[in-house]
Amino acid sequence: MKNPKKSNRKNFSKSIVFSLVFLVLGFIMAYSYSLSNANKETEGFTGGAFFEQEERYRKDLIEQQEHNKELREELQEKQSKVQEYEKSFADGENRYTEYAAEAEELRRYLGLVPVQGSGLKVTLQDGDYNPNSVNPNDYIVHESHVFQVINELYISGAEAISINGQRIHGNSYIVCTGPVITVDGVQYPAPFVIEAIGEPGVLTSSMELTGGIMDQLLNDNIIVTLDEGQLIEMPALLAES
Amino acid sequence: MWLSILGLILGISLGLLTDIQIPPEYANYLSIAVLASLDTLFGGIRAHLQQVYDDKVFVSGFFFNIALAAGLAFLGVHLGVDLYLAAIFAFGVRLFQNIAVIRRIILAKWAEKKEVREIN
Repeated sequence: MKNPKKSNRKNFSKSIVFSLVFLVLGFIMAYSYSLSNANKETEGFTGGAFFEQEERYRKDLIEQQEHNKELREELQEKQSKVQEYEKSFADGENRYTEYAAEAEELRRYLGLVPVQGSGLKVTLQDGDYNPNSVNPNDYIVHESHVFQVINELYISGAEAISINGQRIHGNSYIVCTGPVITVDGVQYPAPFVIEAIGEPGVLTSSMELTGGIMDQLLNDNIIVTLDEGQLIEMPALLAES
Repeated sequence: MWLSILGLILGISLGLLTDIQIPPEYANYLSIAVLASLDTLFGGIRAHLQQVYDDKVFVSGFFFNIALAAGLAFLGVHLGVDLYLAAIFAFGVRLFQNIAVIRRIILAKWAEKKEVREIN
């Protein structure tokens, strides 16, 4: 009874030991097997996998290059657009200088800046006292005469006109106030010096037209003096006030 | 017997399922351990066939050989000498010898049986 039990126990412990041994053996073998498999996988790049990878990279590269090309085209488009903008900007700048020049010119016309140039100087003087005439209005300069002269000068291309050194502008008014005339609120007695900047020859000849202003003024017994070709300087309108 | 088979299956499945990654330079140790274990296994089979089998010798030899082979390889790597080659050589030779002995014993047994049958 004792012996079989002992041998049984011995058998049991033996099988335990064996199972341990086989466990270790199986583990080692399986592990090395899986390890060598993994190694094979990593070494497999020299074969078909390598070519596959190469192909994939090449495809990626081509894709990238196409993308780059697209981007380059886009860049060129954008650059040309920028150039267009720049060109139009430059044009705009040119236009701005034109505008500035025009504004300067207009300002000159408006009388906002002092100007100088050659032109015509017209002096209207009251006629000599005529004892035969009862009405002194017959030989004094009226504001209508001044109007006529100014209009004629403007018509013949005067760029700027002043009366007794006062600039005439678009809103100027000339009123007859008894023996004197009022230009923009400033009274002036005769003689009236009307200066006009423009082409002196044209101005003069337009004044001297037969049956023109000169004749009419002379008819009204007014002493008219034309003085052409002088350098005329006119102050700015604002400087006057 | 069943327990040992169970242990083998358990060991194989454990080895296949483990995801532990060891550096490739230590894979040498493992191969040597495999060789050592195989050698011990066949040595045990031979001893059993020659009726000189002993549990203690077998089990101690199994683990000690594995440890010794791995240790030798480790030492070799650190000394710059390929000592694991020695282990592989020794175990390989022993493995072939053992298998040859096993084969011869089995052949002898088979021939004996045949003779016995003929006699009968």
